[in-house]
Amino acid sequence: MLGDSRKAHEVFHTTLREAAVRAAQGELPREPLWLFRDARWRSLEASKTDLQPEPLELDEHDATPEAALQIEQLEPTQLAIWISNAPDPQRTALALFYLDEFDYCEILDIAELKLNVLSRYLSQGRRQLQAWLDAKHPEPRQI
Amino acid sequence: MKTFGLLRRQRALLNCAPISQDGLADRSMRSAVYRAAASADFVNQQNFDRAIAELVRRIPIPPETAEWFSEKDLAVGSKWTWKKIVRNPAVLAISIAVLVIAGVSVFQLLGRLHDFPGSTTARKLLGVAASTRPVMLDPVNTEAGTLSDLFFMKHGLEHYDVPVEFADFQAIGCRVFEDEESRRIAQIWLAEKRMQVFLFPAERDTKTGAVLHFPGWRYVHQEGWVGAVREYSGVCFMVALRGREKELEPYLSKPKE
Repeated sequence: MLGDSRKAHEVFHTTLREAAVRAAQGELPREPLWLFRDARWRSLEASKTDLQPEPLELDEHDATPEAALQIEQLEPTQLAIWISNAPDPQRTALALFYLDEFDYCEILDIAELKLNVLSRYLSQGRRQLQAWLDAKHPEPRQI
Repeated sequence: MKTFGLLRRQRALLNCAPISQDGLADRSMRSAVYRAAASADFVNQQNFDRAIAELVRRIPIPPETAEWFSEKDLAVGSKWTWKKIVRNPAVLAISIAVLVIAGVSVFQLLGRLHDFPGSTTARKLLGVAASTRPVMLDPVNTEAGTLSDLFFMKHGLEHYDVPVEFADFQAIGCRVFEDEESRRIAQIWLAEKRMQVFLFPAERDTKTGAVLHFPGWRYVHQEGWVGAVREYSGVCFMVALRGREKELEPYLSKPKE
């Protein structure tokens, strides 16, 4: 979400501390995913002051069978930065989806999206990622 | 995704299809994935998503954050103490219900332990004893033992004999009546402690018709009355008084069995 491990750690700690305080006061919300929603808003708040990328039309390509090989050549932090530069709520959608910890209903809940909107963001995200991969690694590494 | 023939919602679901198969709990998602499983586009999408998710797993987590996700529990839940368990309303309700059921069962079991053939009739006759007034009986002035002959000669009741322990007591009234099952009951009122004596047919086996014997004296209780019952020659003898067992004990030849 943030593309910056230091900021992510701060958000993580602030979220947990606030949760602990609310738990001590007996004010924990009943909804099960409130902690993740809270963390999401804190992340968005923390990234507000960052330099925002210029809004521009990214190229989009269909996912290819070679995409997995292209992805292998990426560094994890490169992907983290790419996702953190996506505009929200697409950023939230991609981050939550590729964490592979939530089902789509939970993502809809946390990101406060409708199914068709989440679907569009994910589909668009894949195509943009593929275009970025094509630009970055035009020739997939041969095994 | 070029998955023609799929409904718009199913196409939307496919775009959100879980990366691992564990996320297929949702029925509509399962159905959409099942329909598109063979499509090349969907296979590409799944491979793409798996590769990205694998890369995401490799994103380094700062050690100070990672230590929060150790195998140990983040927070140890409060332990269930006996006090807590007992105070739980559900546990309390179940415990009370079990106690009541157990109490009723024990009560019934104890009641059955004292049962013997004819005990039901004996209890009914204790009720009769409680409601009997001396004027309801034919007045007599003789020893109780001699009334056996009266019962035989006048009413044809064989073996309606008063045991020797009570044969010498003065009788002040007697009668013969039928209960609701048309069994003929002999009743004697004794002067001794206002005791009443009942003679009634012993219970029989419903199949064979054989008399159900039981040894010695047996006690029955009903509404403040106590009776001691003994069976002899197919006839039960019961001596009853308002009071407790220990008031009857001195009159009985053998201890209770």
